[in-house]
Amino acid sequence: MRIKSGNLLLFAAFLITQVILSSLIDIGPLLFISVYPLFLLTLPTNTTFNKMLLWAFFMGIVVDYFTNSILGLNSSAALTLVLFQSKIFKLVCRKGDLENQIRPGLRELGFVRFTTYIALSLAVHHISLSLVESFGLTSFIYNLPRVAVSLFANTILILVIEFGFFYKNRL
Amino acid sequence: MWDKLPILRALATLTLFILLQGVSLFFVSQDSLFQRVKVAGVFMHIKSGIAEFTSDIKYYTGLKSINETLAAENIKLKNELERLNSIYSKVDSSYTMTPPSPSFSYIPAKIIANSTNKLHNYLIIDKGKKDGISRDMGVVSPNGVVGVISSVAENYSYVISFLNINQSVSAKIAPSQAFGPLVWEGRRPDYATLTEVPYHINFMIGDTVYTSGFSTLFPPDIPLGTVRKSTVIKGSHHQIQVKLFQDFSTLHFVNVVVNNNKPEIDQIKRQNEN
Repeated sequence: MRIKSGNLLLFAAFLITQVILSSLIDIGPLLFISVYPLFLLTLPTNTTFNKMLLWAFFMGIVVDYFTNSILGLNSSAALTLVLFQSKIFKLVCRKGDLENQIRPGLRELGFVRFTTYIALSLAVHHISLSLVESFGLTSFIYNLPRVAVSLFANTILILVIEFGFFYKNRL
Repeated sequence: MWDKLPILRALATLTLFILLQGVSLFFVSQDSLFQRVKVAGVFMHIKSGIAEFTSDIKYYTGLKSINETLAAENIKLKNELERLNSIYSKVDSSYTMTPPSPSFSYIPAKIIANSTNKLHNYLIIDKGKKDGISRDMGVVSPNGVVGVISSVAENYSYVISFLNINQSVSAKIAPSQAFGPLVWEGRRPDYATLTEVPYHINFMIGDTVYTSGFSTLFPPDIPLGTVRKSTVIKGSHHQIQVKLFQDFSTLHFVNVVVNNNKPEIDQIKRQNEN
């Protein structure tokens, strides 16, 4: 399995961004920061599902490790995210997007489709995260505000990052 | 190979997903006390479910030997009861000067053949001469009278079932102690008829019918069945239909009644007949 050095660099960059952001932005338990899903969501469309799963697992584990959260929490959520990613992408993509081996970014998809893609995927990620955290459906209702607030904040953060770093400079 | 077998590929992917997700959840359960307790609870639930299931199976497969030990224990207790009863009646009778009641003991046996659909039904049990069984011994079960030993081989005995139109058992109705022969009429295996109960005897539907004990075959007070309905024959006696407790078709274990005083009684009978 060949790993592109560009992907490794991106991996490290997202990890550092995630760690810095989650230590900087701390306004209590109502908000958790997760921007690393952008890395998984914008992997080239020809990446195989198995590779996506491995990326998600390792990304989640190291994020958990470096942000002092429960080990395995983010990796579990990231795996669920990857499971639904291709379905969500098929919802927003146009004919030909899949064959072009593109990075499904803001430039390629356009603002509305990209935002939908990110928001839906993040919703899956956040719900899965909250389910694993509470380990059951009993306290899910109490977690809903947290999920909603984080979803909103993270979508905006990811859009800012995507616009600031990737929109103009194609990697 | 992967491209030719899409199912295999999908399976491999699924396995990878489950594996990675499992590792993640394992980490979660190791890392956080809350999740650890929850996971332990789930495992405990599964474990106890499996344990209960296996113990149920073990219990079911062990039922046969449990049955046999219970039957053996039952016999032991019955013998003990008869022994104590005879001692008790001897103590009692030392004041009233009546002879002690005959004491009975029991031999447990298993039915190996049973018929219920003929007019002359029979059973074969797995105890014979070797076990101390002889002709004209009664055969009972906890639900009533089963029959009478008709012939004995070394290891097996042939029993004329109560479901035989030539067979009769001396029976009585509980409150009044009025007695008469209980016979099977050859129609339905769960009903028998008690005849020769005098007309003036009062009884009610639902009264229990017991063995009277006026024979050397069966001990008294074995419940046989309940009164179902009755008709008066020729204005002189009742003919009572009795619903039997015994279900002959599901019978598996029986007890052979040994009357310990039978030789004595037979001897006295013979003397007076001569």
